[in-house]
Amino acid sequence: MTGQDDGGGIRDRAGTLAVLMIAPAIAYIVAMIGVPLLLAINYSLSDATTGDPVHHYAGLVNYRSALADPVFRLALKNTFVFALVSQSIVIVLSRVLASALSMPFRGKWAVRFLIMLPWTAPIALGAIGWLWMYDSIYSPFDWLYRRAGLLGKPGDPFGPMTNIYWLGRPTLAMASVVIVHVWRLLPLATVIQLAGLSAIPGEILEAAEIDGARGWRKAAWITIPLTLPIIGIAFLFGIIFTFTDMTIVYILTRGGPVNATQVLATWTFFKGIEGGDLAQGAAISLFMVPVLAGIAALLLRMARRAEVT
Amino acid sequence: MPRSESSGLTRREFIKVAGVGALAAGVAPELLFVRHGAAASRELKILVWSHFVPRFDKEWYDGYAAGWGRANGVAVTVDHINLAEIPARTASEIAAGGGHDLIEWISPPSQFEPAVHDLTDVVRDAEKRFGKMHPLCSRSSFNPNTKKFYAFCPGWTIDPGNYRKSLWEKAGKPGGPVTWEDLVVYGGKIKREQGIQLGIGLSQELDSNMAGRALLWSFDSAIQDARENVVLDNPKTIEAVSYMARLFKESMVPEVFSWTAVSNNQALIAGRATYILNSISAYRSAQKEVPEIARDIYFTPALKGPRGTGWNSEHVIYEYVVPKYSRNLDIAKKFLLDLVANYDQAMYHSELYNSPAFFDAPIPKGDRGYKAVPGAKRLRDLHNAWFGDDPFALPGEATGKLAVLKDAERWSTNMGHPGPANPAEGEIFSTFVIPNMLASAAQGMRPDEAVKQAATQARAIFAKWRGKRLVGGRT
Repeated sequence: MTGQDDGGGIRDRAGTLAVLMIAPAIAYIVAMIGVPLLLAINYSLSDATTGDPVHHYAGLVNYRSALADPVFRLALKNTFVFALVSQSIVIVLSRVLASALSMPFRGKWAVRFLIMLPWTAPIALGAIGWLWMYDSIYSPFDWLYRRAGLLGKPGDPFGPMTNIYWLGRPTLAMASVVIVHVWRLLPLATVIQLAGLSAIPGEILEAAEIDGARGWRKAAWITIPLTLPIIGIAFLFGIIFTFTDMTIVYILTRGGPVNATQVLATWTFFKGIEGGDLAQGAAISLFMVPVLAGIAALLLRMARRAEVT
Repeated sequence: MPRSESSGLTRREFIKVAGVGALAAGVAPELLFVRHGAAASRELKILVWSHFVPRFDKEWYDGYAAGWGRANGVAVTVDHINLAEIPARTASEIAAGGGHDLIEWISPPSQFEPAVHDLTDVVRDAEKRFGKMHPLCSRSSFNPNTKKFYAFCPGWTIDPGNYRKSLWEKAGKPGGPVTWEDLVVYGGKIKREQGIQLGIGLSQELDSNMAGRALLWSFDSAIQDARENVVLDNPKTIEAVSYMARLFKESMVPEVFSWTAVSNNQALIAGRATYILNSISAYRSAQKEVPEIARDIYFTPALKGPRGTGWNSEHVIYEYVVPKYSRNLDIAKKFLLDLVANYDQAMYHSELYNSPAFFDAPIPKGDRGYKAVPGAKRLRDLHNAWFGDDPFALPGEATGKLAVLKDAERWSTNMGHPGPANPAEGEIFSTFVIPNMLASAAQGMRPDEAVKQAATQARAIFAKWRGKRLVGGRT
């Protein structure tokens, strides 16, 4: 088929057909992303509240208020810390897992299935499960430590109290949130890295081995450089996921203790919806847009490079 | 905005709901799916929280609403929702311009005043029939600046102290704490000698907010004064914050920084709390799950501060709003008045969790679904009789344990005390300014610095809502 108009129907005109095929996707993006984004910009420049249908133009006052608010600044910092720390850990662990899974061994499919489970479970359910694991009274981690003689008596390495209080101490609460982010995103990153490893031509690896490259040398000089674009994609994808997620923080800590785990997504919700200040909530949420847009652009560029290589 | 019976969302409504939905979708995707069918001529759609006492919904409220609908020729629908989802759901429905005719909140919904009907006439009718609404209820639903009742309050919940008698007996205080200082002295002694801590939340959640306010009020301070001026940064607040730092050090453990709405129940039932500040729901749960702990739980009224003042917050304030989009305002008003007329059943089926806003409302005649109380003519009589002789006490358990709650309305007050509830107080509540102020000091920040930070946040929030003309005061 040449695609030229030979008097056939619309199905035979390639250009028209392409437009028709892509139109639903464009309509979806405009309705679900474009319109809400424009509305959020509109709200952020107004005095809108959840309870007042009428709102007026207010200029940049909501952005100035957000920047003057110490909780916002802390949430901004936490958002970056959570995203960068958790995704750095994810990339290292997923690399190890992907390397292990690329080797032949018995029960590989079962292991792959188990690794994918956290990704397939609804995040709210997973987070509630972790909330129980970190419970102040019934934490199974604490129970194990007590049984192992590490916790609960004077002189024990984890302290004399009966529990560790994972979510009650600022640093531990942050670490707990990072752990859940890692648990959540590790399967996806592993699959992405596994796909990258499988794409390396076998003859390159064989040539490296003939030249004496083994283990770390092979990873450092062959597999990591060749899969760098795909590692970048996994990293940036994870950053976007972590940056925009509020479920884990909302369920585990609600941003506490004393805002130590507050992130922009939760602060947007507390200010804009729970507190009723829709305009301020919109302004806070929009602070994420330039960063996310930049990451998305980078992601697309890397994806194209990965495709070419 | 006029709308035909068959139409869906107007363009303007769609834009509003999409905007709110864009913010809310992260935590509650279902918010986007607003019920928006065309209204029948006689129907009433009610959205209420899932009550902490499950039998209240199953055995009474749903059946009562359905029966009321049959008696009045109205198709009544009752939808239950988790309490945490009420603000987002209400915002979504109001933005959409469609949804439930009656929405029940469990805190003052003052920020929605521009979008809901003025219910002043219902309150006046109710007061004619049932006597005066209790002031803590009216201050939670009336805006003195606009002179509007933005909500109707049929009841509330008491927030007493719950303590383990056997632990306090061993410490030499068998009647439990009377003052906040007792929590440091005897609570600290119990923690040191018996290894059990106090449980007063210092976290980003509901109960911690109430406890923090009770402490401030009992130390003769507050966020605002009676005229809605911010007065938080004063020496008495610093005194209260310093006290909390001392209380944490002596009597508590870091679990209070991650306190949640279920922590009170969980800690008390696990035998890991010597004192909590909560409604009687924790005790009722213990009766069902760990009766030996329940038998050991007793109650205190508001603890007294250094100058003898003692206030606790209401634990729940039931507030019904009728959004302006509702075309069933008259039906909703009748439902609310009849709900007050039948509030004896709400009290009983909530296992005394609900207290009435109209104590002088008469008890209807006939079989009311509970054992009649001899001589009881008004809700006040039932309130006193049931708290004096608890009909839900376990076999062999003391039946007068709740007697200290008889005069709870004298030591209970509203969010915003000594002024009215308002959107600024609501936002301060929702963004956890007070529990974080107390927790910061407990974690080592200088009390005056913690108060200064909180007061700065409070002032900014008040100034913003004054601009919307929903809050009075000047500073």
